[in-house]
Amino acid sequence: MTTLSNKTHSVPMPSKSLITKLNMGTGIVFGILCSQAMYWLAKGWFDPEVPMEENRILTLAMFAWCIGFLIGIGAFIGPFRWLIGKDLTSEEQLYMAGEGQGISRYFKYCTDHKVVGIQYLIGVMVMLGAGGTMAMMIRTNLIQPGSRLVTPEIYNSLVGLHGITMIIALIVVSTGPFGNFILPIMIGARDMAFPRLNALSWWMLFTAIVTLCSAWFYGGIPTGWTAYAPLSVQAGPGMNAFIVAIIIFAISSAIAGANITTTVVAMRAKGMNLTRIPIFVIGATISVALAIPAFPTFMASQIMAAFDRTIGTGYYDANVGGSGWLYAHLFWIMGHPEVYVILIPGVAILMEIAPVFVRKPLFSINAAILGFAGIAGLSILVWAHHMYASGWSPSLNGPFMVTTEMISIPTGLIFLVLLGTLWRGTPWLKLPMLSVYAFIWNFMIGGITGIYLSDVPADDYLHGSMFVTAHFHYTLMGAALTGAIAGLAFWFPKMTGRMLHERAGYISFWMVQIGFNIIFLGMFAAGSQGQPRRVADYAQTFAVSDLISTIGAYLTGAGMLVLLWAVIHSWRNGKIAPTNPWGSKTLEWTVPYPIPLENFHETPVVTSDAYGYGRSN
Amino acid sequence: MNTSDSLTPSLGDRTRKFIKRHDVRMSFLYSSVITLVFVILGIWFYPKFMPRVMSEQMQNGKEVIVYFTVFSAPIAGSVIGIALYTFLNRHKGDTPPPDGPAIKTNTPVVLVWTIVSSLFCLLAIVWGLVEMNVSTYAATINEPKAVVVEVTGSQWVWNFKYPDYGVETQQLNLPIDRPVVFKITSVDVNHSFWPVQLGVKVDANRHAITTARTTPNALGVIDIKCAELCGLYHAYMESEGEIMTGANFNTWVKSLGGHVA
Amino acid sequence: MQAGAKGSSKVLLSATLSVLLGVGVVAGVGYKLNSASDDGRAPVVATMAGNIDTPKGNMPHAIVELGVYPDSLSSGAHGADGGSHPGYVTYGPSNVIVVPAHSLVTITIKGYDGGETLNAPFFGKVVGTSDGTMSVNGKVVTELNYDQVQHTFTIHGLPTSMQDPLFVNIPLLKQTDEVMGAFDETGKLPEPNITTFSFYTGSAGEYVWNCEYPCGDGTYAKFGAAMSKYGYMSGKVTVVEHI
Repeated sequence: MTTLSNKTHSVPMPSKSLITKLNMGTGIVFGILCSQAMYWLAKGWFDPEVPMEENRILTLAMFAWCIGFLIGIGAFIGPFRWLIGKDLTSEEQLYMAGEGQGISRYFKYCTDHKVVGIQYLIGVMVMLGAGGTMAMMIRTNLIQPGSRLVTPEIYNSLVGLHGITMIIALIVVSTGPFGNFILPIMIGARDMAFPRLNALSWWMLFTAIVTLCSAWFYGGIPTGWTAYAPLSVQAGPGMNAFIVAIIIFAISSAIAGANITTTVVAMRAKGMNLTRIPIFVIGATISVALAIPAFPTFMASQIMAAFDRTIGTGYYDANVGGSGWLYAHLFWIMGHPEVYVILIPGVAILMEIAPVFVRKPLFSINAAILGFAGIAGLSILVWAHHMYASGWSPSLNGPFMVTTEMISIPTGLIFLVLLGTLWRGTPWLKLPMLSVYAFIWNFMIGGITGIYLSDVPADDYLHGSMFVTAHFHYTLMGAALTGAIAGLAFWFPKMTGRMLHERAGYISFWMVQIGFNIIFLGMFAAGSQGQPRRVADYAQTFAVSDLISTIGAYLTGAGMLVLLWAVIHSWRNGKIAPTNPWGSKTLEWTVPYPIPLENFHETPVVTSDAYGYGRSN
Repeated sequence: MNTSDSLTPSLGDRTRKFIKRHDVRMSFLYSSVITLVFVILGIWFYPKFMPRVMSEQMQNGKEVIVYFTVFSAPIAGSVIGIALYTFLNRHKGDTPPPDGPAIKTNTPVVLVWTIVSSLFCLLAIVWGLVEMNVSTYAATINEPKAVVVEVTGSQWVWNFKYPDYGVETQQLNLPIDRPVVFKITSVDVNHSFWPVQLGVKVDANRHAITTARTTPNALGVIDIKCAELCGLYHAYMESEGEIMTGANFNTWVKSLGGHVA
Repeated sequence: MQAGAKGSSKVLLSATLSVLLGVGVVAGVGYKLNSASDDGRAPVVATMAGNIDTPKGNMPHAIVELGVYPDSLSSGAHGADGGSHPGYVTYGPSNVIVVPAHSLVTITIKGYDGGETLNAPFFGKVVGTSDGTMSVNGKVVTELNYDQVQHTFTIHGLPTSMQDPLFVNIPLLKQTDEVMGAFDETGKLPEPNITTFSFYTGSAGEYVWNCEYPCGDGTYAKFGAAMSKYGYMSGKVTVVEHI
């Protein structure tokens, strides 16, 4: 291959090539043009005063935005050129990889996995910011009984859109930035298996995020993030934005999943056999491999909802023989594996971090792999524990209770691996390592409250109450998000070349974790007392619990702002990082910053696993 | 490590040496304290936050939360206790710590851990299944004497019909110590019928009838809430009711123009 | 970390200001949502009409007048141009009603709209009034047939130990199809069906009201559109100690 340093190679400028002129700006312009054109065309056929026809107009316009943007940014140039027999030249491919283009390549359809990783990171930060702002609105509305901040309609939209924004953000928070940027380097690969699809998955997510945000301009959504039918069929125009966003997102994550899986299977460096793969790579692969069968049912459920809303099919309309239970099944067959898609990469990151900062090998990596595989396998069999109270089939509550309780066994192995790694070590309590401890506390509480909920008689009381909300925030935010933030702190030196501001990191960590526990311990209390979830207003009995939760929320919000400041400040003028500040033994720490375009001057040969720490007595 | 004579230490010797280690003792101490905290949490804290128990089902639900907290307290206690010890034993300074012992795995520990967690899992499963079956069986043998209440959820008000008494009302009043069968449906979107103090909950679905059974066993006010987001006024879809003596119940039925069976 | 005391205090200042800026942005969003929640209409406050003798004793008497209209344009309740949804049915002049505590409240509703059938027949009954009846165009009734209803006025709220329970359901007699046909052609409101009812208020508290008649056309169970938009067919009833 040609030389790989950005500095000595001139920028390839394929003459007369369209790809040099296309970027995010042209994408946005073309996307808006297409959606406007589709809107006017559709208005000529359909009457916007009639709800069903208005849904048709909006759904078509939103799809037109997504497709128009992708055309405008040049996503289809590669396949199109291949179709007409004039494949991209190597100069064009180098250009598309962002060779020598500086910061402008982050705003283009760039195939370099490192660029895509940073794009995902920014996208995730924007989503977390938007979702977090909505969370502050929710908690402020609940600071005292009376729903005084917003109307119940706006509140329900806040709850639903906060939920789906955060869920999408968490699905991609670990596999997006780190699965793209770090993972290929970690396995000694030069890029991912499908670089163009990599860029496609990110830009599709971008179009989905924009579509989702547009829901606010159409009156929001009346449902929670689960968008249960038939309420979603009854919903106003904003629901179309949700549906289109999910359909696009499902395709984006399928593409990303196929990419990561193929890369890990086919592109590992020489010598990296199955026993030497780092645990983060294994976790990320299991997670996306679980997503690939699961997310299509989410997409299917939304397509059916779209048909019900636009052409009057009756999938979910009991009047014509349909059923809301159909939606619930399709949704939760995705919904339960999905929470493990969120959890596993976060945990895998923490397992990657612990050996580095305790200077001991990862304890029983086989138990870790068995744990992940067990969770992933069992998660496909448990979905109807979300439907114990639905009345769908009371006699099947028992079998689902059995499979759900069984997930506690592989989950326990995760704790064993982390504890075994900590045991007899002296941990170096940098921010990534602190997060391991936060995870242990948070996931213990989240996991045990999950066992209460999996028990049917207890769930008959707790389902649909704030107890459930507290449980899943403990697992999703307390475990998965904590893991992702740990990953950011850990890999920040390799992704930006600078060290994350340490003191700000500690301050943010304690504010967020303490605030987080205040919010959700208060919420467990409210749920136990009998407060339902997704309520804009509540009886006086719950006033104290809700006030405590709100105060905790403000503390967490402030802590997250401190983290945001730390990231931005450090990125711009943080301390320049050495090549391997943590003394880690995985491959990504062997490459210099700025990382060459194809990562390695010479593909490494691996002779041992990455956990060779420890004295041998 | 071998001692000067060539015999390897016995299991008893190894155990004694193990429990004398500083890290083992301190971890055990922290674990015990945290376990105790969680046990107190389960026995004292949770019950304070749960509403009045007015039926078997509510009692079962409450017991699960309390007992499972107590059973899982040692697990949570030991995990957090060990982690706490290592946290307090941290390396101070800006350079990486020295390497710890190269422990890659410990098969007996992994096996014991898996077996113990499987036993806890089995305990939870058996507990839940037994409780479910007891309730279901009791419900079937009680059916003939039950008060039937047809519950209709509509956006955003509950109403209740007593077909045997010819009464239709927005208040759920019930006689004490008589089994009640709720037959629940919806006229629009999904709702979830939740009489909080009675500890049962079932969704209300259009063109479907779902069932819940319980026997109220204490007098007093009950709150009926909707536990499934159903649109604009989901938060306000609450009704009140009362468990009253049989005589008061009959009086109430008659005051609404109904007839006593 | 920055070297030197001056450098680190600069960093601290930057961090503090950035966090405050972030808080300001979030607060700004909250303020914007709060203003969007306020439709700027003054509440309908009951007028006091002296005292009245009732079976529960002598108590203050309060009067409220409302109307329910076939579209917002003809109601004038959302501005002269009908507001953001001129085609939506709506109550008027406002959806927030303020009444005094420990009083007899008499509400008169002028109903200008047509109707079809209720989803839930229960709401054809009069519930919760002082004598179990209402008067429709002068005639005293206890219920309406479930297919004679144009809208309902249903007051309910959160059960809580801090306020007395309140539940009132009033079905409103619909206009005939011929009358509504004429309205569709001319846009001129017909003669209203006048419904009057009274109920007792207990202690001060906050309640909600909404219509239980499915008038959100074109949506599932007809409970979307106007039915699901706060301020048209839903609102609040605030019981205050003194008007």
